[in-house]
Amino acid sequence: MGNFLEAPYLLEAVVVVLGLALLMLEAFLPKADKRLVAYIALFGLAGVLVASFNMKAPENLEHSFWSFYATDNLAFFYKNIAVLATMLVIVMAIEYTPVLEKYVSQGSKQGGLGEFFCLPVFVCAGLMWMASAKEFITIFVSLETVTISFYVLVAYMRRNVGSLEAGVKYLILGALSTGFFVYGVTWVFGLTGETHLEKIGIALQGLEGSDSAVLFAFTLILVGLGFKVAAVPFHVWVPDVYQGAPTPVTAFLSVGSKAAGFIVATRILQPFLEMERLHSSFTTILVIVTGATILFGNFAAIPQTNFKRLLAYSSISHAGFLLLALTCTPDQFQLTPGQVVAFYLATYLLMTMLCFLVLTIVRRSTESDEIAAFSGLHRRSPFLAFALLIGVISLAGVPLTAGFLGKFFVFTLAIDSGRWILLAFAVVGAASGFYYYLKVARAMYWEEPTELAAIEISPLARLALLLLIIATIVFGVYPAPILGLLTN
Amino acid sequence: MPSTPAIILFLPLAVAAFVLLASKGFKLNATVCALVSTASVAITLVLSLALIFGAKSDSPDEVVKLFTWADFGSLQLEINATLDRLSRGMLFVVTFIGTLVHVFSLGYMKDDAGKARYYAGLSLFMFSMTGIVLADNFAMMFIFWELVGVSSYILIGHWYTKDSAADAAKKAFLTNRIGDFGFMIGILILFGATGSITFAGVEQGLTAGVLTGGLLTAATLCIFCGAVGKSAQFPLHVWLPDAMEGPTPVSALIHAATMVAAGVYMLVRVSFLIGVSENAATIIAYVGGFTALIAALMATQQDDIKRILAYSTLSQLGYMVMAVGLAAGEAAMFHLFTHAFFKALLFLGSGAVIYACHHEQDIWKMGGLKDKMKGTFATFAIGTAALIAVPFTSGFFSKEAILEAALHHDMLLFLCAAGVALLTAFYMTRLVVVAFFGKARTGHSDHATEVPMIMLAPLMLLAFLSIFSGYSIIADTLSPAAVHSEFNLAIFLTSLGALIAGAGGAWILYAGKDKDPLNIGIFRNKFYFDELYSVIIKFAQDKFAMVVSAVDDLFIDSLCVNGISRAVNGFGLLLRRLQSGNLQGYAFVFGLGILVILYIALINT
Repeated sequence: MGNFLEAPYLLEAVVVVLGLALLMLEAFLPKADKRLVAYIALFGLAGVLVASFNMKAPENLEHSFWSFYATDNLAFFYKNIAVLATMLVIVMAIEYTPVLEKYVSQGSKQGGLGEFFCLPVFVCAGLMWMASAKEFITIFVSLETVTISFYVLVAYMRRNVGSLEAGVKYLILGALSTGFFVYGVTWVFGLTGETHLEKIGIALQGLEGSDSAVLFAFTLILVGLGFKVAAVPFHVWVPDVYQGAPTPVTAFLSVGSKAAGFIVATRILQPFLEMERLHSSFTTILVIVTGATILFGNFAAIPQTNFKRLLAYSSISHAGFLLLALTCTPDQFQLTPGQVVAFYLATYLLMTMLCFLVLTIVRRSTESDEIAAFSGLHRRSPFLAFALLIGVISLAGVPLTAGFLGKFFVFTLAIDSGRWILLAFAVVGAASGFYYYLKVARAMYWEEPTELAAIEISPLARLALLLLIIATIVFGVYPAPILGLLTN
Repeated sequence: MPSTPAIILFLPLAVAAFVLLASKGFKLNATVCALVSTASVAITLVLSLALIFGAKSDSPDEVVKLFTWADFGSLQLEINATLDRLSRGMLFVVTFIGTLVHVFSLGYMKDDAGKARYYAGLSLFMFSMTGIVLADNFAMMFIFWELVGVSSYILIGHWYTKDSAADAAKKAFLTNRIGDFGFMIGILILFGATGSITFAGVEQGLTAGVLTGGLLTAATLCIFCGAVGKSAQFPLHVWLPDAMEGPTPVSALIHAATMVAAGVYMLVRVSFLIGVSENAATIIAYVGGFTALIAALMATQQDDIKRILAYSTLSQLGYMVMAVGLAAGEAAMFHLFTHAFFKALLFLGSGAVIYACHHEQDIWKMGGLKDKMKGTFATFAIGTAALIAVPFTSGFFSKEAILEAALHHDMLLFLCAAGVALLTAFYMTRLVVVAFFGKARTGHSDHATEVPMIMLAPLMLLAFLSIFSGYSIIADTLSPAAVHSEFNLAIFLTSLGALIAGAGGAWILYAGKDKDPLNIGIFRNKFYFDELYSVIIKFAQDKFAMVVSAVDDLFIDSLCVNGISRAVNGFGLLLRRLQSGNLQGYAFVFGLGILVILYIALINT
C-alpha cells in the first residue's frame, strides 16, 4: 500500500486520536484552565494541516479500500477547508469562553467547558472523512458523525433557552432529513444493487424504464443534501438554529456543514447528472430549488435587524449561488462546477469566519448580536470595524476581494451554460446583497456609538483576523494559489 | 534566482512597501528610508545598464515570462518583460533620471516632514513606470498605466494640506481617467476583434485583416486617448501645468521626463496599429502639432518658472506625438530621450533656483542669479540651449529628425513645427534673461546662494547628457533605430532662423526690464481652456443632473426603488411570518416542500 506514512487516511486517524487525547486530558486534569485543551487542539490541527500537503495519493488503487475512499484534488482541498474551519472555530471558542462560562458552568468556574473544545475536533474528523467518501455507507456514517456532534454543540449552553430550543429544532428536523436521505439511498440500492457511486453511475446508464423510481430517489436524496446546505425549502431550521446556537458553533455550521453538504452533493449528483435520459428532469429540479434559494435567501435577509440572523440568511443565499454552479454543464469554461464550488467555499470560509470572529468579540463586550450593537464600532475599535468591513464587502462581492472572484466564476459558469433565468435571479440577489451587507458597514462607520469604551482583542484573535483580512484581499487579487490546488 | 527584469520591476515595489511600513510601523528614520529608496533605484540603473551592454547588436527581441496573473482559459493575464531595443533604452532613461531625481531630492526634501512618504511614492512610481516599459500586452500596460496615475496623484498631492496641491492632484487624476477610459475601450475593441491582448497577438490579428475600416480607426483613436491623457495632449492638456504644485523633483521625474513620455512610448509600442490606420495617424499628427503650437503660445506669457517649463513640456510632447503620427516613431523616441535629459535638467535646475530663493517661483521676483548661482546657471543655460535647439546640442539633432519627418509628409505641420521652434527659443530666452540676468528684484533672489553639491551633481550629469546624447555613440544605443539623417540645408536654415529670431526677439524685448512689456491676455490665460471646461462641465453637468434628478425622483425613486423595496419588504415580512419559530410549522413547510418537488419531478415532467 505504498509508503505507510504518506497514506492520506492517516490524517483522519490522527485527528480522531487527537480528539480522544484531548478528552482524556480534560478528564485527568480537572483543575487546569480548559482553554489549554483548545490550544493543544489548535497546535494538533495545524500539524495536520501542514502534513496534509505532504500526503500523496497511492499509486496502486486496486486495493478494495480505495474503492470507497477518494484521494483526488477535491478531497484534499475539502480536507484543508475542514481543518482550517475547525481551527478558526476553536480560536472563536476561546474568545467565547466568558459567555460559555455564564451559561454552562456549574460548580467550578469552567466546569463542563472542556468538551466544547474537543467536539469540534471530532466534527473535523467527520468532515475530512466525508471529503473522501464516495460510497453511500461511508457518506452516511461520516455525515452522521458530523451531524450528531453538531446536535450536542448547538444545544451546548444548557442554561440558555435559545440554545436549547435551537438544539431541539436542529435535532428533530435533522432527523427528519436524514430519514429522507436514507430512504432515498435505499431506493437507489434497490434500483441498482450498488452503494458505490461510480458503480451506481454505470448501473443507472444501463437502467431501462423505472424513470419515476430514479426521480423519486433523486428527490429524496436531494432533501437530505438540501437540509445540510440550507437550500429552500429545507432551510427552515437555519435562522432559528443559527441565532440560538453559540456563535462559534453557528460559524462552524455555516462553513463546515455547508462545505460537507457540497462535497457530498458534488459527488452524489454526478452519476445522476450523467444519465442523459433524465438529465433535463434532474436539472429542472435543481434549477427550481436553486432559484427559490437565491431569491428567498436574499430577500428575507433584507428586513433583518439581528446580525447573526442576517448571516443565517446570507448563508442561505450563498447556498443558492453554490447550487447555481452545480446546475451548470459548462461548455468552454475550464473549471468544472465542482472546482468552482470548491473555490467559492474556500473564499466563503475566509469571509464568513471573518464576520463571525468579529461578531464573537463584539458579542462578548456588548452582549448583543443586533446590528445596532455595531453602531460606531470604528470609534471603539478601528481594527475590528475594518475587519468586518472587509468581511461584509467580500460577502457582498465587491471586486478585489475573494468573494468577488467566487461570484465571478459562478456567473461565468452560468453564462457559459446558458442558465439565463437563474443568472437574472442571481444578479438581483447579489444586488440586494449589497443593501443588507452594507447596512452593517453603515452602522459601524456612520452611526454614533452608544458607549465609547475600547474593545479588547486577544493577540490570538488579532492574528487570526489579520490573516483572514490579508487572505481575503490577496486571493481576491491573485487567486492562482487556490486554483492551483484545485487543478494541478 | 529571479531574472534581471524581475528585479528591476519588483525591487522598487518591495522598497515602497518597506519604506511605508518601516517608517509608519517601526518609526524608522526618514533619512534611512530615503537612502534605501535611492540605493534601490541605483541598483535598477546598474541592472538596466547591464541589460543594454549585455545585449548584442543582433540579439533577438525576447519576452521574459515573469508570472501569470490570472488564467481565464481563452484570456490569460500575464506579467512579462519585453526586452528589445525600445524597452532597454527607455528603461535606462527611466532608471537614470529616477536615480538623479532621488539623489537631488535628498537635498531638496531634506527637511520635509513627509520625507519617508515621499520616497515611498517615488519608489511606487518607479515600479509602475518600469511596468509600462516592460509590458508585453495591453492588460499589463493598462494596469501599470493606472498605477502610474495613482503614484502621480500621490506625489502631486504630496503637500496635501495645501488646497491647491490637493486640487491639482485630483484634477490630474480625473483628467487622466477620461483618457484611460478611451484607452480601455480601445483595448477591448482590439481584444474583441483579435482575441488576443498581447502586442504580438494583436499585430498578428491585424496583419490577418480581422479589423479594418472605421472600427480600426476608432480602436486606434481610443488607444490614442490613453496617450492624450497621460502625455497631456490637447484637449486633455489642462492637468499638466497644475501638476506643478507637486515638489519640483517630482515635476522633473514624472511630469517632464518619464510619465508624460509614457504616452509617446506606448504609441511607439503600438506603432503597428498606427501604421495600418492612415486616418487615425493623420489625426494623431495634427493633435500633436496643435498641442505643440498652443502650448508654446501659452508659455510665452507665464510668470511662474515651473509653469513655463510645464507648457514647454506640453509643446515638446506635442512634437513627439506629431512625429508618431507621421510614422516617424524612431524620431519621436529620439526626441523623447534627449528631451528627458534636458527637461529633467531644466526642472531640477528650476528646483535649485526655487530652493535658493526660498520657494519663490515667480521669475519677475528673481533676477541676477547668474552670479550668485554660477553652477546652476551654467547647467541651466546648457539645458536651455538643448531645448531651443542650438546647433550641435542633443535637442538640435532630435528636433531636426522631427522637422525632417514633417517636411516629407505635410507642409502645414512643418510650418507649425518651425513656428513652435521659434516660440520655444523666445520663451526660454525670456525665462533665462528675466530670472538670471539683470539685477535682483526682491530680497529672496538677493540672498540666494549656490545649492549644495548633492543637488548640483545631478545637474552636471544631466548637462553632460543634454549636450552629448544627440551624438550617435549614445543616441544609437538608446533609440530603437539609427536616427541621424542626411544633412538637409533647408531644415538647418529653418531651424537656425527660428532660433535666432526667437532668441534675439526675446533678448531685445526683455533685457534689463523689470516687468513684462507684453501683455497678451489670451496666452496668459491659456486660451481660457480651464474656464471653458468649467463652464461646459458646469452647464452640462447641471442640466444633466437636473434631468437625472427628475428621472430619479419620478421613475427610479418612487416606482423602482420604493416600489421594489415596498414589494420586497412585504415579501420579506411574509417570509418572516413563515419563520414563526414553531417547530411543527417548520416540519410542515419541510414536508410541503418535498411534496411540491416530487410533484414537479414525477408528474409535471
